[in-house]
Amino acid sequence: MLQRDAFIRQISERLGESENVFFLSADFGAAALDALREEHPSRFIHCGISEQAMVDIATGLALEGNVVFAYAMAPFLSLRALEQIKCGPGIMNLPVALISVGVGLGYADSGPTHYATEDFACLRSIVGCSVYTVSDESVAKSVANHILDQPHFSYIRLDRNELPILGIDPNIALGFRLFGNSDPSVRRVALVSHGKMVHSCVNVAKRHPDKFFAVDLIRAKPFPVDLLSVLRRSARAVVTVDEQTPYGSIGSTLLEFMASEDCLMPLERLTLPEEYVFQNGGREFLLSKFGLDEKSIESRALEIYGRLT
Amino acid sequence: MNIALVPKIEALCRGYRRELFEKFLSLGQGHPGSTFSMLEIVVTLYHGGFIRFNRQESRFIDKVIVSKGHATVALYPILANFGVIKQSEWDKWGSGESTLRVFGNTSIPGIDVTSGSLGHGVGVGIGMAIARAERSPSSRVFVIISEGELYEGSTWEALLIATHKKLKNFTIIVDVNSLIILGKTADCVGLEPIEGKISAFGINTHSVDGHNVMELINTFSNLKNDAPQCVIAKTTKGKGFSIMEGRPEWHYWNSLNHEQISLCRKEVS
Repeated sequence: MLQRDAFIRQISERLGESENVFFLSADFGAAALDALREEHPSRFIHCGISEQAMVDIATGLALEGNVVFAYAMAPFLSLRALEQIKCGPGIMNLPVALISVGVGLGYADSGPTHYATEDFACLRSIVGCSVYTVSDESVAKSVANHILDQPHFSYIRLDRNELPILGIDPNIALGFRLFGNSDPSVRRVALVSHGKMVHSCVNVAKRHPDKFFAVDLIRAKPFPVDLLSVLRRSARAVVTVDEQTPYGSIGSTLLEFMASEDCLMPLERLTLPEEYVFQNGGREFLLSKFGLDEKSIESRALEIYGRLT
Repeated sequence: MNIALVPKIEALCRGYRRELFEKFLSLGQGHPGSTFSMLEIVVTLYHGGFIRFNRQESRFIDKVIVSKGHATVALYPILANFGVIKQSEWDKWGSGESTLRVFGNTSIPGIDVTSGSLGHGVGVGIGMAIARAERSPSSRVFVIISEGELYEGSTWEALLIATHKKLKNFTIIVDVNSLIILGKTADCVGLEPIEGKISAFGINTHSVDGHNVMELINTFSNLKNDAPQCVIAKTTKGKGFSIMEGRPEWHYWNSLNHEQISLCRKEVS
C-alpha cells in the first residue's frame, strides 16, 4: 500500500471519533482520500492549488480548536508555504499536521522544481515543528495515530512510492527503530537514515551483520536523544544516508546532537550533491549516479569500516 | 441603523486617537499612519454592536482579525474599554513592562490571531469562518486588511476559496489609504480598480468613507448574509494629524519637536 493511503486511511477510520478533525488538500489526491471525501464530506476542504492559502486556512481552523491535516506535494507544501507555516502553526503553536508526499527525488524525472531535496532542513528549522519521515506503511499508520492521539504541529514526510514493510513495529514515542545487531560487545558502524534510504541501509546491515546495524530515524525532531545512548554504546562510527542536499541533511542533525551530548565519533554523510538535478533516467538511476543506491552505500560503508579497523 | 450611536462613536474615536498618540509618543515607535487610518472602522465595529460582546464571559462572540498586524494597536484602547485588556496593562504600556506589543499576538487578551506578516489574514479568517459556520452560525468573522495586502498572492488565493465556499459569515474590510512605504500605491504598482477586481471574484463589495461613522454604521448594518462581503473603506493614512495625513513616512513613528507635539495634541483635543 502507498504510504499516503495508509496514512489517510488511518485518519479516515478515526474521523468518527471526533468532530474536530479536518483534512485539507491542495489538489493532491490518493485512493484513500477519495474514500475520505465521500464518507466525510464536511471534514474535507479542497483548497485549490494554493498551498499558502491552505496553510492559512488550516491555521484558522486550528485557532477554533480543530486538529488539521494539510496535504500536498512535498516541494510545494514545504518551501512555497514555508512562511505561512512559520507564522501560523509555528508562531501560534497550533495542531496542524503537514503531510508532504514525494520527498527526495520521488518525482523523478520531473526535475528540480518537483524534487523535495531541501524540505527536511527547512521544516526542521521552524520552531516547534516535529518532523517525521516515513519509511514504510506501518510507520505511516503509527505516525497518523500518534498525531490523532496527541495533536501537535508536525511535518510528515511520505515517499511517493510503495515501499516494503520493514517488519519491526515502530515506536513513534521513541522516535527511531533499530535493524540488525547492535549488541555492544562488537562495536559496529551505525547506518543512520530515514525514508526510502532506510531500506538500502537495512539490507546492507543484513549482509554484514558483524559490521553494521541500521537506524531508521523516524522522528528527527524533537531529536530522540535515546539514540545517542545506542550510538555511544554500540557504534564506532556513523554513516548517515539522506536523499537531501548536504546542508541540513540528517548528517547535520546527528552531528549537532553528537557534539552537544559528548558523543562524537567518526561520521560520514552520504547525500545528494549541492546542485539542482535535471538529468533523466529515473530515481534509481539518479540515486546510483549520486552514490545513494544500495551498492554504493554498501561499498562506502565497507570502506569506512575498513578504515577504522 | 442606530443614528444615535454616531456622536458617541465619534467621541470615542477622538478619545482613542488622543490615547494612541500619547502611546506612540512615549513608545517612540509603532505605525501611526496605518493605525489612525483604520480607527473609525474598528471603533464602529466594536462600539456599534457589530462585534457582539458576552459580558458575563468577558469575550466577543464575533471575531476581528487585524491582518495588517502593524495596526493592531488600534484595538488596545477598545479592548481596555471593554475590560478585556486590563486597564493597568494599557496604562503602563510605554512606561513600564506590559504584555502589549507593537504587533498584536495571541498572548494579548482579545487578540485572536498573531499577525504582522502581510497576506495571511484572509486565509486564516476563512478557516475560522468555516469552523464557526458549523458550530456557531450566527457568529461573524471580520478580517481587516490593508490595500497593500492585495499585493500578496496569498490574499487572492484565499479570496477564490472564500467565494467558492460561499461563506455567509465572512466579511473582509480593505483599508484603502492609498499609501505604502515608498509612496502612493498608484505610483508604485497600481491596484485599481480594487472594487472591480474583488467583485469579479463573486464577492459583494460595499464602498464607504472609512472615517465617516454614519456611513460605516450604515454599511455594516446592511451586510448581506448570503455570501462573503467586502467593505472597501477609503481612508487617509495618519488621519487626524496634519503632520501625518497622507505622508508615507508616517507609516513609522517619527520624532516630533515640542511645537509639533503641541499641534498634534491640539488637533485631537
